[in-house]
Amino acid sequence: MDVIALDSTHHLLATIWFLIIGLFMVIYVVLDGFDLGVGVLSLFVGDEPRRAAMMSSLGSIWDANETWLVVIGGTLFGAFPLVYGTVLHGLYIPVIVMLLGFMLRGVSFEFHELSTNKPIWSFTFGLGSLIAALAQGFTLGGLLNGVQVVNGVYAGGTMDWLSPFSVFVAIGVVAGYAMLGSTYLIMKSRGMMQDACFARGQWLALTMMVAAAVVTVWTPLQFPAIFARWLSVPNVYYFALLPLAALFSLVMLLRALKNRSEVAPFVWTTLIFLFSFAGLAATWFPYIIPGYITIDQAAASNNTLVFMLVGIGMLIPVMITYNIYQYVVFRGKVDPDNTHTY
Amino acid sequence: MDLLHNPEFLSRAQFGFIALFHILWPPLTIGLALILFGLEAAWVKTGKVVYYHQARFWTKIFLINFGVGVISGLPMEFSFGTNWGPFSIASGDFFGNILGFETAMAFMLEAGFLGIMLFGWKRVSAGMHLFATGMVAFGSTLSAFWIMVANSWMQTPSGVEMQNGKLAITSYFDAIFNPDLAHGFGHMFMACLEISLVVTAGVSAYYLLNNRHRDFFLPAFKWSVLSLVLVAPLQILIGDSAGAALAQTQPAKLAAIESLWHTNKPGEGAPWAILAAPNPAAQKNDWEITVPDVTSLIVTHSLNGTVQGLTDFKPADQPPVLIPFYGFRVMVAAGGFIAFMALTTLWLLWRRRERMQPASVGQNKWLLRGWMLAIPAAYIAIEAGWLVREVGRQPWIVYGMMRTAQGVSKISVAVLQWSLLSFVVFYSAIGIAALVFMRGVLRKGPVFEDPPHQPARHADIVTQPVVVGGGH
Repeated sequence: MDVIALDSTHHLLATIWFLIIGLFMVIYVVLDGFDLGVGVLSLFVGDEPRRAAMMSSLGSIWDANETWLVVIGGTLFGAFPLVYGTVLHGLYIPVIVMLLGFMLRGVSFEFHELSTNKPIWSFTFGLGSLIAALAQGFTLGGLLNGVQVVNGVYAGGTMDWLSPFSVFVAIGVVAGYAMLGSTYLIMKSRGMMQDACFARGQWLALTMMVAAAVVTVWTPLQFPAIFARWLSVPNVYYFALLPLAALFSLVMLLRALKNRSEVAPFVWTTLIFLFSFAGLAATWFPYIIPGYITIDQAAASNNTLVFMLVGIGMLIPVMITYNIYQYVVFRGKVDPDNTHTY
Repeated sequence: MDLLHNPEFLSRAQFGFIALFHILWPPLTIGLALILFGLEAAWVKTGKVVYYHQARFWTKIFLINFGVGVISGLPMEFSFGTNWGPFSIASGDFFGNILGFETAMAFMLEAGFLGIMLFGWKRVSAGMHLFATGMVAFGSTLSAFWIMVANSWMQTPSGVEMQNGKLAITSYFDAIFNPDLAHGFGHMFMACLEISLVVTAGVSAYYLLNNRHRDFFLPAFKWSVLSLVLVAPLQILIGDSAGAALAQTQPAKLAAIESLWHTNKPGEGAPWAILAAPNPAAQKNDWEITVPDVTSLIVTHSLNGTVQGLTDFKPADQPPVLIPFYGFRVMVAAGGFIAFMALTTLWLLWRRRERMQPASVGQNKWLLRGWMLAIPAAYIAIEAGWLVREVGRQPWIVYGMMRTAQGVSKISVAVLQWSLLSFVVFYSAIGIAALVFMRGVLRKGPVFEDPPHQPARHADIVTQPVVVGGGH
């Protein structure tokens, strides 16, 4: 009886932390997603003033956006140390490449501002963004591929993260980020820059959706357990809701782009991300390392989970509030002729 | 070389390299953030535009360091998972928890207000801007606190016990307020203040020596030096008490710092080696220059107090000696030089007032050159200090509880060589680029633009309409 009570407490705490980290991930993916997406798009822009305006639209917020990744790292380490110690080891190469990409784009922001040779630094900004986004896609793909853990130790190979499946995931992530970036720029720009974003949005949305559809079909074919889980009655009805909602959002997104709405495209893209993410989480729950480790097995001790909940849980609304405040302060369109300096 | 095919060495070299590079940047931003807050508060309180100009100038130095500090610190957090998986899994309950606190409480706070601090001058009121600067300063200090909690705990782990290969928490209070925390955080925080004041003093000295903006930089030089008169000796005192505590908590590290192989006999003092050639194979110094009794005096504050020697520990439990021994001496010499400069300058400011005026201060060439030299000295001190602290902890990753060799992930040598090389190449490039841009900022000098608006509390006494530069 005692053991069961203890286990259910542990399961509850582990689930709460799974949801909190899930929330952080959604926030991160949307915020740094558009951020990285703007970087990827800047590689395809011909002239320096426009690239500078694109960088300037992120100048005040990119650091805070990226910090959500650091928060995910820290809370994952504390709440699910087993995941932290095995997944990052298993995905060593894409994780290190991602960090190098982040660092390249991070210094580019600053050096672009200070340097007289701006095109070099706007190029490294775009390149770093593309590298980071691709590496993130491969990290996710590698995780979904399966990070083999035996007796709490990573037991797979160095290149397990690379597969045709993970290539599709990476394409989907980059296209999705570029879509978020485009819809963000629609809100932050006007004139020619905005026109280009509307035009590009159509095919980016389709690329993103095709990649997502391939991943959605491929996953159950690759993992029989998921095939059974998805397609059994009544699960199939619940699981079907998410792709249907994503599809509806896609239709609305395309419509909003056609009507040249300024805010709606970003909202619909965010919803597509949200439904995809919920789909992934629901598919694998209660596994946190797909196929190998459940959230209960990976979670830290109850003491730690409670201690962290007191220390961090109560701060979440505060964190979100001052992040929103920062966006409010820097609201409005970017003017390519008057980019802000410090 | 064999070491380059040893996975443990490669992971240690990678973490060590990242850490030694990273620690070059945040100490300055932690200290400067507090200085900037002080300058901005002075502007809001007095309305004197000179404080605003000072704040804006030092912000440029802050910004370059902040950017490189943030991005170079990113891989440190992830290194625990990528390269030190078994350590992360074993220590996650406490160590991971504390890093979680650091990121959510402190790092996020800093990042959330940084944009407003740097780009928000025309968008928020002076009071709100001051608040944002304060939050950045508070966040960065809090961040340093949590990082030092985690690091101190690796040095003197308490409040935990080993259960089934995991470090389970028995007391959060004991684990957070572990025996090393007060010294560890105190010494680090003082180093942040000291390095920032040395940089403001040294940069001011550079301008005074070149007879540029003397009216602007003489006051900055003065407040930097006067603050250092307090901070530099205080840092030496904290360091001394940290050394005494080390004898209790990490005696093997202390013995390595002093290259002391044998415990002194009762009634005799332990000698202090000025220079030595430690020979771990023979468990002695091949040669040494010593002063009798001084190690006992420094550590126990008595001439014949007992200090444990390295041979009290099995060779497998002894840290390397060479780096802690010389690293410590370099740190002390650099710290002593800064304290000497501060006290000498105080004396000159007091006795030779007429030579310390804007028109004449540039003639004190050696003094000003000495202050420019103090900048590299401060950085050398902080690097040497970290080497002493971390190399002296070996062969333990969690002192006395978990060996470094037990904490490392099993990653292929080729991958580790590739990642180490990537970090070395990449960090070298951004380090050099940052120095080039820093030089650019120094060449350009301060810009004396009008503030975007008067401090709010003085708005009512401004008679002419405030010019608003049209939002962008």
